[in-house]
Amino acid sequence: MVSHNKRLVAALAAVAAMGMGLAGCGSDTAGTDNGGSSDGGKVTITYMHRLPDSEGMTLVKDIVAKWNKEHPDIQVTATKFDGKASEMIKKLETDVKSGEAPDLAQVGYAELPEVFTKGMLQDVSQYADQYKDHYAAGPFSLAQVGGKTYGLPQDTGPLVYFYNKAEFDKLGITEVPQTESDFIEAAKKAAAAGKYIMSYQPDEAGNMISGLAGASGGWYKVDGDSWVVNTETDGSKATADFYQQLLDAKAVTTNPRWDPSFDASIKNGQLIGTVAAAWEAPLFITSSGGTGAGEWQVTQLGDWFGNAGKTGPDGGSAVAVLKSSKHPKEAMEFLDWFNTQVPDLVSQGLVPAATTEDAKTPSDWSNFFSKQDIMKEFKDANNNMGDFTYMPGFSAVVAKMNETAAKASDGSGKVADVFSEAQTTSVDTLKNLGLSVKE
Amino acid sequence: MTATTQTAKTVVAKRAAKPKASDAAKRENRTGWAFMAPFGILFALVFILPIIWAIYSSFFRQVTVGGGAYGGGELVNKFVGLQNFQYVVTSGNFWAGVGRVVIYTLVQVPIMIIGALVLAMLIDSYIVKHITAFRLSYFLPYAIPGVVASIIWVYLYNGQISPLVKMLAAIGIKVDFFADNVVLASMANITTWTFTGYNMLIFLAALQAIPHDLYEAARIDGANGFQIAMRIKLPNVRAAALLAMLLSIVGTIQLFNEPQVMAISDPSISKSYTPMMMALNTSQGTLTPGGDGPASAVAIVMALIAGVLAVVYTLVERKVNAE
Repeated sequence: MVSHNKRLVAALAAVAAMGMGLAGCGSDTAGTDNGGSSDGGKVTITYMHRLPDSEGMTLVKDIVAKWNKEHPDIQVTATKFDGKASEMIKKLETDVKSGEAPDLAQVGYAELPEVFTKGMLQDVSQYADQYKDHYAAGPFSLAQVGGKTYGLPQDTGPLVYFYNKAEFDKLGITEVPQTESDFIEAAKKAAAAGKYIMSYQPDEAGNMISGLAGASGGWYKVDGDSWVVNTETDGSKATADFYQQLLDAKAVTTNPRWDPSFDASIKNGQLIGTVAAAWEAPLFITSSGGTGAGEWQVTQLGDWFGNAGKTGPDGGSAVAVLKSSKHPKEAMEFLDWFNTQVPDLVSQGLVPAATTEDAKTPSDWSNFFSKQDIMKEFKDANNNMGDFTYMPGFSAVVAKMNETAAKASDGSGKVADVFSEAQTTSVDTLKNLGLSVKE
Repeated sequence: MTATTQTAKTVVAKRAAKPKASDAAKRENRTGWAFMAPFGILFALVFILPIIWAIYSSFFRQVTVGGGAYGGGELVNKFVGLQNFQYVVTSGNFWAGVGRVVIYTLVQVPIMIIGALVLAMLIDSYIVKHITAFRLSYFLPYAIPGVVASIIWVYLYNGQISPLVKMLAAIGIKVDFFADNVVLASMANITTWTFTGYNMLIFLAALQAIPHDLYEAARIDGANGFQIAMRIKLPNVRAAALLAMLLSIVGTIQLFNEPQVMAISDPSISKSYTPMMMALNTSQGTLTPGGDGPASAVAIVMALIAGVLAVVYTLVERKVNAE
């Protein structure tokens, strides 16, 4: 329910944003004071995030309160943005222009290049280097664009496989199939019994399917000053083929991830296995409403997408320093502290990018996931992630992929179209931004 | 208003002592403007100014400078002349969106208006008792905000959790409210449900303004209830019908809430499903070319189309009325 409510809030926010768009003025006052007021050496830092902040988690404001208590000179105000990433970026874009943006803002790795291109980030390389060894190298580089650092990584979103072990056993599938053909065979067997061991989520296609396809190699490469785009890689073809076979055999659910029907499919026991991003664990527990609690497990992706045992990214965020910040040094100081509050961040459902402390699986997670140390699985997945560079303007590609993916789920299109549309949209988007593309 | 009263006053003033009265007129003039000010200032600030800004920004595009694969970390406004308009006018997605709202308007508005008229006539007739209860219950959906209404209906349409779909399935009717050729009708249903009661109120007000001696005269002439409805009531609510139609046309052209909310359950509803969605998503960069320039162009072209449609409708209506 939580996740769905969030979508509703997002929809509301979208409508509100529409209103703002028509009124031609997108800044509201939501406590984002300029951060420029420094009286008597006291610095105010503002931080905007999109963390879940739900019941039972360590709330962001409580984490920040700890900092504020210890640092009377650097006072931080955190604001939560209720809405989609694209809406938050639009708001920040307007705010940066009018000089009212917060000092720090959560930016997904997929959006960071776009946000840089839109001129919203501040180069903080000189402050970032001292914090470099607090983070895994991969995520740290995702907070960089063209060798310069614009923030610090917060969490990562490796893709893994969630499945209900008890239900698998009942169907006589004793182990998660490791090859594509074995998996499809098992999926058909399960479907015959009214169960599904995979979900096809059209509204997450752009984020998830790009990650699955990207496990075996990225789509976007920089050659000199130009982009080389190939979204129809062998990995993409294998991914398309995998889902197309499942769709054709009606051996996969097609409920959108953020639609109530997805939650319903877990609650009524139909859906007993799915690819999910690591950060989905607490959301998934809520979605399930307790169905199958203690029976679910987390495991690595099999070799289903031509991925040779590798996995790919889906989500994960850095916190970036925005261009209008007047106190980048202090902002980075707070940011490094915040992003290394490992247990608190874990409670928010994150797989922290920080390596300063070992992340432990919270007990309510392990209760749901068969007493398993799922944080270890997530970390293993993280260390096994393919390299995927995102291009500026990727959000337009995501939108097009989702729309095309939905057409494949009702049979009016093919999964392969998702990747061919991604190709044309990617090239168009880069060109429209005035960037050069090698074709 | 102010202009006519003012000329009237000046005419009166001219007859009396000239200079003194003109002072009075000036004062009156000032008072008039003072009364106008709260509205006028806000109107200029939140309506006129943004429109001018939108027109201005529609001649620009936000592009990178400084080269490199990621650009120089700055977007600049590049004057592109009419290129944004050229993009909108030649965009297949835009016209597909316009096509959708036009079909939507052509089908949904008449159904809703006729429905509202029938309901208003029933309430206004002597057949129905407890008018207040009926009036309130018809009007109630309008009190629910559009987004909330859409969310409620999305639950009711959802094939796997909806009691409505299950009930229909139980009596042998299988419907997919999100199927490609049904989804627009599903949206129209939400709008109809929300706004029929509102339009009914417009009609009811017009009906109740008709002098009752007309009915008595008709009765004496031997007209029955149905004849009174068709010959007296219907012609007398024509002005109200024009108003209701016009408001509805303008409203449906801006179709946004329903598709935006329904896209949660049906991601195949594209980012450019209606022109208003296209404008929003263009400004957010989830459509390409993105940015405020192209988004403003979408909004302006759509406003022009809506304006033309409204004028055409008014002219046709006037012509029909004159005959």
